[in-house]
Amino acid sequence: MSLRVYAIAYLIFLYAPIALLPIFAFNDATIIAFPLSGGTTKWFGELMTNRALHTAVGNSLFIAVMTSILSTLLGVCAARAGAMYRFPMKAGIMGFIMLPLVLPEIIVAVSLLVVVVQILDLGLSNWTIIAAHVLICTPFSIAILNGAFQNLDPSMEEAAMDLGESRFSAFRLVTLPLVMPGIIASMLIAFTISLDEFIIAFFLSGSSPTMPVYIWGLLRFPQSLPVVMALGTILVALSILLLTIAEILRRRGMARVGVKDKGGFL
Amino acid sequence: MTPLITLKGVNKHYGDYHALRDIDLEIGEGEFFSLLGPSGCGKTTLLRTIAGFESVSNGLVTIGGKDMAGVPANLRPTNMVFQSYAIFPHLSVAENVAFGLRKRSDLDTKAKQTLVEDALDMVGLDGYGKRAAHALSGGQRQRVALARALILKPKVLLLDEPLSALDKKMREQMQVELMRLQRHVGITFILVTHDQEEALVMSDRIAVMFEGRIGQLADAETLYRRPRNRQVADFIGKMNFLDVVVRSSNDPVDLEISGLGRVTISPDQVPEPVTIGKAIVGIRPETLSLLFDGETTDLRLIDGVVDEVVYYGDMTYYDVRVQGVEKPLNIAMKNVIGRPVLDVGAATRVVWDERSLVLLN
Repeated sequence: MSLRVYAIAYLIFLYAPIALLPIFAFNDATIIAFPLSGGTTKWFGELMTNRALHTAVGNSLFIAVMTSILSTLLGVCAARAGAMYRFPMKAGIMGFIMLPLVLPEIIVAVSLLVVVVQILDLGLSNWTIIAAHVLICTPFSIAILNGAFQNLDPSMEEAAMDLGESRFSAFRLVTLPLVMPGIIASMLIAFTISLDEFIIAFFLSGSSPTMPVYIWGLLRFPQSLPVVMALGTILVALSILLLTIAEILRRRGMARVGVKDKGGFL
Repeated sequence: MTPLITLKGVNKHYGDYHALRDIDLEIGEGEFFSLLGPSGCGKTTLLRTIAGFESVSNGLVTIGGKDMAGVPANLRPTNMVFQSYAIFPHLSVAENVAFGLRKRSDLDTKAKQTLVEDALDMVGLDGYGKRAAHALSGGQRQRVALARALILKPKVLLLDEPLSALDKKMREQMQVELMRLQRHVGITFILVTHDQEEALVMSDRIAVMFEGRIGQLADAETLYRRPRNRQVADFIGKMNFLDVVVRSSNDPVDLEISGLGRVTISPDQVPEPVTIGKAIVGIRPETLSLLFDGETTDLRLIDGVVDEVVYYGDMTYYDVRVQGVEKPLNIAMKNVIGRPVLDVGAATRVVWDERSLVLLN
């Protein structure tokens, strides 16, 4: 009983602040405070016309999509190698790949800035952020995909090759469909991490900021806070939608191959 | 026998580990051939070398007269039934069976469908085509794996411990079915197994492997009755080993068996040349028997004391201690009407026959 109370209190504590987002997004006042002063959709209207915000969101979406694709691609390679082959120094190499998971982001950000600007002498752009985001997202991708590949019977691919398929088409026809739920989960997690990542983006963005960096800039102007709330509302709705789709896909994949559902990332 | 597969001086190294050592082997067309040995003896590595999943470190592998060096698994005339069966869980039974036909552009959908139905029919799964592969039982999975491999009409079917995942009843049933299937399709089957009974029941010839080497290559009866050395004799079935001194290795071979006395045997009972001096003889438990009250025999007798009794229903296994013999003799007796099961400690007489001995180095 007390555990139930605790669980409910925990959930309220966790999600109540997020519930405030839509409340103030529809509130007709520039000051974020109770009591509420009537409903409006003008903040959403302002979102539609704000060119700088559009550019920032565009940057963030581009970076997040590229990051999710690249880190998942790298994750598939690493997880497959880790699950199917034995090679010297395997444990050491796998550990080294997972290191960015525990490295403070500020350290990664500063050192990458030094490398990009001082050593490589490159300009800052979306691509420098993508590179850094791939670095921090790949360990997450590997962790998720490891699970998918470790459930896989290594003879599956060999069986497909034995039946006449080349190494690549054996992977495409057998392994890929079986690990697809893991791939989707990995892309989604990488997308989410990249989309709201601030510190690295703050250090490495060029003249055009990403969405979190832009929002941080807005905080200096209290009158634009409700716009941020409106943006946040849209993002929350979008996240819930995306995760729901991913979970449905994952369950469908599980049912199709008859694996017992051991709980996914949700 | 027309050799279909030839291995000459095949060696396989994994770093320092020598998995296959100088394997020379010829496997005939239409033969049911088994690779038998304890785990880690290299039998699976040898099978995978023939399949094309492992390359050889040195040596030659030919199939149908063609050198297989550098030929990947998908281009070899072999198909494999994996230990885990490796049934694709995201496909239906029919899609699994039809998987190997993907590359056959000469066949239309209708022809492929007929082939799949025939293959399923052959393994006794007619009507199962639409089922989801992951919903099958162990025995059914194995049948799907067989149909999937045989639909491509390979020259050789490779079976990697195909019965190890099944329960005893199912295993015995599948042994008979595999033999029937092999006679029906008439191609070479190569079976990897650690189960000596399975190998003896099913195979035309058996290669017994130890530590990357072939210890003996022979048909089932020869392996059982005339093992070449103690290792093979010990692995195949049960065997009593007795110390012996060889007095003469000519015809007849003159032996002094510790505890049993002096006998002569035929050179036929000496698979490998022996020298004068110490050696070992093997006697199978079922070639020994106990003499019960009221029974008579013309054969040799020796007194003993029952040390252990293991009752199996159809058989009783006795360990009988005989003076001068180091270990108790293991004796298998059929339980027939009127024959009592002796108790531990009972005095008894062991009937033995020197014609059932085999002399080993």
